[in-house]
Amino acid sequence: MPEKIDFSKVSFLVVDKNPLTGQLIRDILHVLGATDIRLADAVKPACKELRRAPVDVIIAEHHLVPDSGLALIDWVRNSPDSADRMTPIIMLTANSEEDYVVKARDMGVTEFLAKPFHVEGLYRRLVAVIARPRAFVNAESYFGPDRRRRQVPYGGPDRRRTES
Amino acid sequence: MAKRAQIIPPRADLKTKAVNLRDGFDMRLTPEVVRKLEEVVHKSRDAFTTDIAERLVVMRRLLRELRPEPEQQREMIAQIYESSLEIKGAGGTVGYDLLSQIGKSLNDFVAEVSQLDDRQARVIGLHIDALYAVLANRITGRGGIIESAIVEAFGEARRKFRAEESAEDNDVKPAATRERDA
Repeated sequence: MPEKIDFSKVSFLVVDKNPLTGQLIRDILHVLGATDIRLADAVKPACKELRRAPVDVIIAEHHLVPDSGLALIDWVRNSPDSADRMTPIIMLTANSEEDYVVKARDMGVTEFLAKPFHVEGLYRRLVAVIARPRAFVNAESYFGPDRRRRQVPYGGPDRRRTES
Repeated sequence: MAKRAQIIPPRADLKTKAVNLRDGFDMRLTPEVVRKLEEVVHKSRDAFTTDIAERLVVMRRLLRELRPEPEQQREMIAQIYESSLEIKGAGGTVGYDLLSQIGKSLNDFVAEVSQLDDRQARVIGLHIDALYAVLANRITGRGGIIESAIVEAFGEARRKFRAEESAEDNDVKPAATRERDA
């Protein structure tokens, strides 16, 4: 039997400064059966919500004011106040050029979806973060999802600078 | 000596509570569910087009009231950057792909300027006029041959009238680029 996702068991925080977009995403999640959906329009109120009670999935815009969505990712991944550093984060943004994607990835975003978006694209990202969780990497300069999307066998010499 | 990175295995708690064999939605969307979700998007179309129309009114007014003072120009450019980014993101989401294309073109153009000369102001004005035309004529999707030609022409205008090299020499970065680099 095929697996199913019960979205009523999943809580969400949607962060977008355009209330229409926040409302649209909330309405889409409602149709999918989600009931615990919180909205925030900036990084500070989003962090306040997360301190109050963590959520299962964050959907955040990059272009927030005054702090960008990258600051939210940084807070979730690295702040001592963050209740769950491994919370899946989907960045849903019109800032979709390569350098934005790279910065979001290197800050620790889990999935990235460009606006304008189609409902199928959003659904695929939701399935990915809920049903296919990724390993995390804890390194000196990075904490976040393993950025390697594929495991490719390597038969050559070990090229690490140091061994420990 | 560099520390080795730690790999933390995937956490299964969310999957355990939400994924099952009985209740909920299949991993692959069925056409029926797609239709229901698209209905939600369609219902929001009027609200988004009203919002976009209001932004166009404001952008047109800002352009009409444009003054040569650098501070005033920077503020105007920042507002146009904001609005064009929203239009880029929202247009195609609610079925107006052409709005997204022209919105992106306008956004890309103002992201590269911090001061406007007459030609650059004219390019912005033409973008705004085109956005008005799309909304007024309810041109959904990407339009046709004429619309494609217009989008291509905007690309040419961006290449031709983008910020000159002298802006970099004077260490003046466009406001939107400063934000991007932050």
